[in-house]
Amino acid sequence: MQTTNDTLLSVRNLRISFFTDEGEVRAVDGISFSMKAGETLAVVGESGSGKSVTAMALTRLVPAPPARYVGGEIIFKGHDTLKMSGEELRKVRGAQISYIFQEPSTSLNPVFTIRSQVAEALELHRRDIGIVDAEVERLLALVGIRDARLRMSDYPHQLSGGMQQRVMIAMALACNPSLLVADEPTTALDVTIQAQIMELLKELKQKLGMAIMLITHNFSIVADIADNIAVMFRGKIVEYGPTQRVLRDPQHPYTKALLECIPRLGAHKDRLKTINHAEIEAALKR
Amino acid sequence: MTDTAANPAALAAKPQTLWSTAWRQFRRNRLAVICLGIVAIYVGVFLYAESVYWFARLRDIVPSYKVADFAARNAHPSAAHWIGTDFAGRDNLAQLIQGVRIAFEIAFLTSAILIPLGFLLGALAGYFGRWVDNTIIWLYSVVDSVPSILSIISISYVVGRGMKGIVIGMGLVAWVGLCRLIRGEYLKHKQRAYVAAARALGAGHLTVMLRHIAPNVLHIIIIVFTLAFPRFILTEVILSYLGVGITGEPSWGVMINDAKQRLWLGVWWELGGATAAMFFLVLALNIVGDALRDALDPKLKTAESSKA
Repeated sequence: MQTTNDTLLSVRNLRISFFTDEGEVRAVDGISFSMKAGETLAVVGESGSGKSVTAMALTRLVPAPPARYVGGEIIFKGHDTLKMSGEELRKVRGAQISYIFQEPSTSLNPVFTIRSQVAEALELHRRDIGIVDAEVERLLALVGIRDARLRMSDYPHQLSGGMQQRVMIAMALACNPSLLVADEPTTALDVTIQAQIMELLKELKQKLGMAIMLITHNFSIVADIADNIAVMFRGKIVEYGPTQRVLRDPQHPYTKALLECIPRLGAHKDRLKTINHAEIEAALKR
Repeated sequence: MTDTAANPAALAAKPQTLWSTAWRQFRRNRLAVICLGIVAIYVGVFLYAESVYWFARLRDIVPSYKVADFAARNAHPSAAHWIGTDFAGRDNLAQLIQGVRIAFEIAFLTSAILIPLGFLLGALAGYFGRWVDNTIIWLYSVVDSVPSILSIISISYVVGRGMKGIVIGMGLVAWVGLCRLIRGEYLKHKQRAYVAAARALGAGHLTVMLRHIAPNVLHIIIIVFTLAFPRFILTEVILSYLGVGITGEPSWGVMINDAKQRLWLGVWWELGGATAAMFFLVLALNIVGDALRDALDPKLKTAESSKA
């Protein structure tokens, strides 16, 4: 694969294993994908399929040990993050690749105000900023927090889950990252707030033009935001392609099974479909 | 209540910090507030004793509490000597007050050794784990396996007896408890999502350890400090009583040790005074420490568990 100018990230044959007392667990087993600048990639898969490990591995956030980066490379803007020193990695983290996590309520430090948490992102990577408060206020307003100036002195437990996730997004955006990794950003939120957060992400993407890697187990939220979809199953990417193609014409039995699991409004069914792993294994062997 | 609910600006103007909620919780405990008052009185006495001591020392005169009056040896309590005089005719109350000074000095100085040592080792062990953890666990198990009075005595023989020996001895022995607690907290906190979030933001290990996690475990230090304070005072009394402690200054242990020899003469007020002074301080500090733990701990627990 030739790295062209607009390729932002290219992961090749990445393999990450956890070595436990019961032996080697291949969390990520030889996956390859690439992302262009400004592209949105949805990584879909069930719990334990290796999607979060993949996301964390981009800046080597999976602690090693117990994990081990067995092989492959992660080329971000022409440099392999797996070969970077700790110092270089810290300059990438938060500044060029930012993360939003699943649980906004625990991802914010309970003892600091919103202001100081957003300000820390600025202090770590943008020391040139003169008036930190003004920038914090701008960022909070950007992610749709009303009365940002008043809210700045709040502690995380004074905010609702949706607001907390907005603060997390503000922190992630503080340094204009070129890649935003959203690791199940809406899983802990209720459905109306989910829609708001996805709407916000779409809006921010248009405004700021960063690439988004959206990790989810929920097919229904990816359709109108993702350009490409990668379906992960047991540490491997089993299907990878443009969103519409994957949703309309899934090739892999696991993708088909996943899509069939989505309940449809108005459909009369006695039972919701679940995934039968034995069936998929059987289909794979054929 | 109603006007703040109606007016969000008023609510935002008065942020509920963790400390203000803890204080509200603490205030609910009537007994603890009374004990806090007692501790405050002791602090006042301590400051007064400290000024008496330094006044005499800087002027290079014999301080009032050391002035002997052989005409009034073992005097009964009277208007001039509220709790009588000792075998050299020195005023017991003045000595008792100096005892407060010695007790506070010992407790503060020991804490100044113990808290940084226990906190740092505990944080390193809990945060980094693996061989760092193993080494530190080994270290504190060794220190903990020797009876503490024995190690304090032997350390004080090495560094020199008196205040210095007691402080260094206790500091080097008593950090184990704090270290264990802090290590446990760090083990718990390093799994928290906010630590991963801080790492993802580009914060280094030391920044995460000292800036992100430390404020979350700060309440432990405060609790340990208040609960260890009376223990230091008691240990000093025991050591001074055993004759390896303070010399030349009127600590409570020295007073009790001296007084016991004259108990058979019916001179009980010296012993009684020192014991009572110690009793009330230790009791008050223990109750305040317990109340602090109640006020600071569940606060963080509910904030975490409601969302976890």
